[in-house]
Amino acid sequence: MPTLIFPLSRIEGHAQVVIEVQGGEVISAHFQAIEFRGFEYFVQGAPAEQMPVIVPRICGVCSTAHHVAAVKTLEDVYGVTPPPLALKIRELLLLGQIIQNQATSLFIFTMPDRLGVASLFQATSSTSPSTGSGCASEQANAEIAMRALQVRKAGTDLITTAGGQFIHPIKAVVGGVTSGIGPEEATAMRTELSEALPIACELFDCYWEMSLAMGERIGTWGDDAPACYITAIADRRPNYYGDVIHVMCPDGVARASFSAHDFRVHLTYQETDYSYAGQTSYEGEVMRANSLARVNMARRMGTPRADEYLTRFHEAFGQPAHAIMLFDLARGIELVYALERAMEILAEPLDHEDTAVPHTPRDGEGYGLVEAPRGPLIHHYRIENGLIVQAEFIIPTVHNALAIERALRVAAERYITAERVDMELEHAVGRVVRAFDPCIACATH
Amino acid sequence: MRQFAVLQLSGCAGCEVSLLNAEAWVDRYKLVYMPLVISAYDVPEVDVLLVSGGVRTDEDLYNLRRAARRARQLVAVGTCAISGGVANLGDRDEVRELFLAEAERRHLPRLLPRIRPVDAVVTVDRYLPGCPPTPELFMAVLFTPTDFKVGKTVCRECGRKKRRDMRPTHLIGFEQGEVLPDVCLINQGYLCVGSSTRGGCRALCTRPGHPCVGCRGPSDTFIDKLSSEWFTSIQRVFAAMTDIPAEEIETALRSPQLALFLFQFSDYAGTGRPPRPKEKVL
Ligand code: SF4
Ligand code: SF4
Repeated sequence: MPTLIFPLSRIEGHAQVVIEVQGGEVISAHFQAIEFRGFEYFVQGAPAEQMPVIVPRICGVCSTAHHVAAVKTLEDVYGVTPPPLALKIRELLLLGQIIQNQATSLFIFTMPDRLGVASLFQATSSTSPSTGSGCASEQANAEIAMRALQVRKAGTDLITTAGGQFIHPIKAVVGGVTSGIGPEEATAMRTELSEALPIACELFDCYWEMSLAMGERIGTWGDDAPACYITAIADRRPNYYGDVIHVMCPDGVARASFSAHDFRVHLTYQETDYSYAGQTSYEGEVMRANSLARVNMARRMGTPRADEYLTRFHEAFGQPAHAIMLFDLARGIELVYALERAMEILAEPLDHEDTAVPHTPRDGEGYGLVEAPRGPLIHHYRIENGLIVQAEFIIPTVHNALAIERALRVAAERYITAERVDMELEHAVGRVVRAFDPCIACATH
Repeated sequence: MRQFAVLQLSGCAGCEVSLLNAEAWVDRYKLVYMPLVISAYDVPEVDVLLVSGGVRTDEDLYNLRRAARRARQLVAVGTCAISGGVANLGDRDEVRELFLAEAERRHLPRLLPRIRPVDAVVTVDRYLPGCPPTPELFMAVLFTPTDFKVGKTVCRECGRKKRRDMRPTHLIGFEQGEVLPDVCLINQGYLCVGSSTRGGCRALCTRPGHPCVGCRGPSDTFIDKLSSEWFTSIQRVFAAMTDIPAEEIETALRSPQLALFLFQFSDYAGTGRPPRPKEKVL
């Protein structure tokens, strides 16, 4: 039997899945990143202070996380502590990113799988049968698309409010942020978020229902084995700003906590010859980052509606929960949380005190950690004579690479027999990969 | 309904994300190909093809050539498509060597020795510069609204006041924390190149206090001239407004962050190609 190649769509970047089969047996399932630009090389020689403007261009989807990670890395090198107001504005920036990303992943990337269409922007049905869910029939796809775009736009606007530029933010600078947020702007932003919240909840309710229907139709929620989970946020009121990395065992027991400086002690990075992206493992084990890792470790979100969803999730699926499709539902909980939490912060004064402290640049080495939508992101720079001599970007999608391949293998084994390849495999491959919401531009950089 | 497609080459997807923010096209244009949001594996015949990202791999080259044949109009979108963008930083000799040594170890698809702009491969009908272009600019390129007006330069859209009584003697770099509201960033010692950068972005970086890095490229005045003229004009602005030594400005203007964007239209990357005609640039 031949090698099966599945080009991927509705994910960020260029990637494909290659499954090798022999006599009905799955030999390998590879997730290949097929682009590469070489950021680690070409930032060498750049003046260190310019990193916060250069590195967001690693990825237009995760740009905010890179922007903040770059600033945190430089602050680590220079020994600067930004004032509390700056931290609040950076938190808002990262919440904007969560809203934008989770809304995109839920409604634009994965909702079509539940509706059985190729895209929300096209009404054409694909070969897979419709879910028959009440939500789907009540609303035309185009209308879902418009509402989904409204929710994600609230996230983008929040990034603009807190970060200046809307895709590649510029407001976070070493020592703080360039400016606060005035009361009028804050109120306008809050209003926009409060309008987006009920829409997000309604879409998410639909999504939840459709996911249940889909699980029933295909007979699985992604039945891969349990794994370790990794995230950089503490257990309640998630702050994506990140301080320490936590690892949880498959059985739910906390296993380790370590700072970005020590990541090499715990995480092992390896390259492969079939992909431009590498893979990391935790002490030799497969691990999972992204929404499900955070929700598995969350005791409370700390905002009312998000907590309702979290309770519902834990009750329905247990804690920790392991099925692959639950990554998607966990994303919805975070979307609701980020909308609510951003509204809370915007109700506080945000231009009443200094937004930055002075600093003196110096040479040295530093690390910057952020919980990006896809998991813990670490930047590591070495600076000599004010110039970058070494830069490393430890990317969340790379933490997930082994988990993605393992889940793909399970799916492949489910649909491939000695006699035939079930056509459902193509859809399954898409669903599995999208559940991890990989970002190829970041993973290869 | 008119049809359009988005071909993403090697870039960051920021251009696509920006397009998604311009939601008003949804009921006026049919989007038929854009792998980021649609499961479709081939570009059909379209009225407009937006191309983002630079030509980095042999896949990019192939996909671009194939798609261009099916498009009535081709728009190069974003700095990467127009000049190679951020990846141009890798075109310094020492970096290229590192890069190629690394790249050869790996498989598929093959990397080209350097990143190339879209118009080095196919004919481009319009250019939409920006990193990324704003949703408003995307709408303008898709619909050509008659009431769409932009300032000639970023300065015209900025609203910060240039003052005579503040003459800095040194640049303070990009990362110096809090800035004064309403006062021109040049007066505060920042290397802002908004005075000769193309308007249309609504000065979204300079308003909250970050100097313009020139991502929209030169204004119409400089677009079909050599980059040295843009350069000189920026020098002149600093000479008039500050007491910063010319050499200091010169060095800073050649720093990577600005080199990403500056000079993207004129004599780009030393290929000897003619400058882009200003009528084609939005
Ligand atoms: S022009 Fe800027 S936003 Fe667009 S793909 Fe390139 S780096 Fe990303
Ligand atoms: S130079 Fe920069 S800060 Fe000053 S007015 Fe022009 S765009 Fe604004």
